[in-house]
Amino acid sequence: MSESCGAVSLSQSQSLPGVAGGSAMDMDPVEFTLRKRLPRKLPRRRNDVYVNMKTDFRAQLARCQKLLDSAGPGPREICIHGLGLAISRAINIALQLQACSQGALQLAANTSTVELVDDLEPEDPDEGETLTRTRNNSAIHIKVFYPQ
Amino acid sequence: MEPSDHPEVFQGEPSGGHNTRRMQSALPTLPPPRSLPSALKPMQSSFKKVYCMEEASPSPFPGLVAGVLEMRVKEGSKIRNLMGFAMARMQGEHRDSEGGLRQVVFAGSGRAVTKTITCAEIMKRRVGGLHQLTKLRYKCVQEVWESGEGSAPQTTVHRNVPAISILLSKDPLDPREPGYQPPGDLGVFWRAPAEGVEHESPQLATGKRPLSPLMQPSQTDSKRLYSGVRVTCTQALTY
Repeated sequence: MSESCGAVSLSQSQSLPGVAGGSAMDMDPVEFTLRKRLPRKLPRRRNDVYVNMKTDFRAQLARCQKLLDSAGPGPREICIHGLGLAISRAINIALQLQACSQGALQLAANTSTVELVDDLEPEDPDEGETLTRTRNNSAIHIKVFYPQ
Repeated sequence: MEPSDHPEVFQGEPSGGHNTRRMQSALPTLPPPRSLPSALKPMQSSFKKVYCMEEASPSPFPGLVAGVLEMRVKEGSKIRNLMGFAMARMQGEHRDSEGGLRQVVFAGSGRAVTKTITCAEIMKRRVGGLHQLTKLRYKCVQEVWESGEGSAPQTTVHRNVPAISILLSKDPLDPREPGYQPPGDLGVFWRAPAEGVEHESPQLATGKRPLSPLMQPSQTDSKRLYSGVRVTCTQALTY
C-alpha cells in the first residue's frame, strides 16, 4: 500500500464517518454519511513533508530535521506542506527548525487554496444517490532552505 | 480592537462570546463566576484565562510605508466582516479606476493563522493581480490565568505562538524576497508538478473505498490520476 508511510498524509486525509445534520434543505429526508476524500494531486518528492495533526509533533519535527541533515545530491532544502488546521503546526515546525539552526535556515512561505471533495452517501442505499460537494480550504507550503 | 476582546475559558471551545464579562487584571481577586457556562465540566473550571495580550513586535515588512491597512485577524473574527471592510478599502468607495488602497496586510497568530490565510486567498481571488509576500515568525503572547476558586493569585504565562503576516500589493514587490508569490500564482505547488513528482490517487491511499465512487465530468483531473497509480505504488514503497 502506498500509505505505508503513514506520517505523510494530510490532516484532512482520513475518511471520517460523520453523520451529516439535517440542516440543509436537500439533505432533509434521507440521512447521509459525510465522507471526506483525500486531497488530490499531491506532489511527493523526497524532500516533501506533509504535516498532519495525528502524528506526534516531535516526530514530525525530527523527521524534518533528519531530511535537512541528510546530504542529498541537490541543494539542502525541504518543503513543508500544511492544510487547514495543520497550517499552524507546519509553521511551528518550520520556525522550530529555523530556531534550532541558529538562524542559518531561511523560510519562504507560499499560500494556496485546495479544492476538497466530500461525498454524501445515503445511509440507506435505496434512497437517493451519492452526492458530491466541493469546498475550499487554505494550505501553506514552506520552503526551508540554507541560503546560498 | 483590544487583545482582551476574546476572553477564553481554559480548555473550552473557541470563545464564541459565552463569557462576555470583561475582566481586568487590575481587579482584586474576583468571586467565583456566578454562572459558569453549562458546557464546563467541574474539572475544567479550575483555571481560566482572563487576559491575553500580544506583545508589540516590529512589522515583518520593514520597507512598508506607514499607515498601510493592517487587518488583525483573531480567532473569533468573522470572515465576512474582515472581507467586507478590506474589500471596500481596496476597491475604493466608488470603484473608480484608481480608487482604493494599493496594499493591505493580513496578520494573525495562533489559531487564527488559518483564517488569515483564507482571507488573503479570498482577496487574491476577488481582486486579482495581487503580489503577495508571506512572512512567518513567532509572536510572544502574555496570558494571565486565574484560578476558578477565586482564591489563588493570578499567574502570568509567556507563550510563543506561530504568527503569519501576508502583504498583498497591487504594486510589484521584490521577487527575490523569500516568501514572494507573483500574481496569478494560484497553487503551483499542487498543479504543476516538477520532475520526479508523483501523484497519488485518493482512492488508493485510503485503501478503504471502492474504486470509482462517482465520477463527474468536472473531475477529469482525478480520472487522469489513475494512470499514475502504478508509478506511485512502486515508488512510494521505497519512500
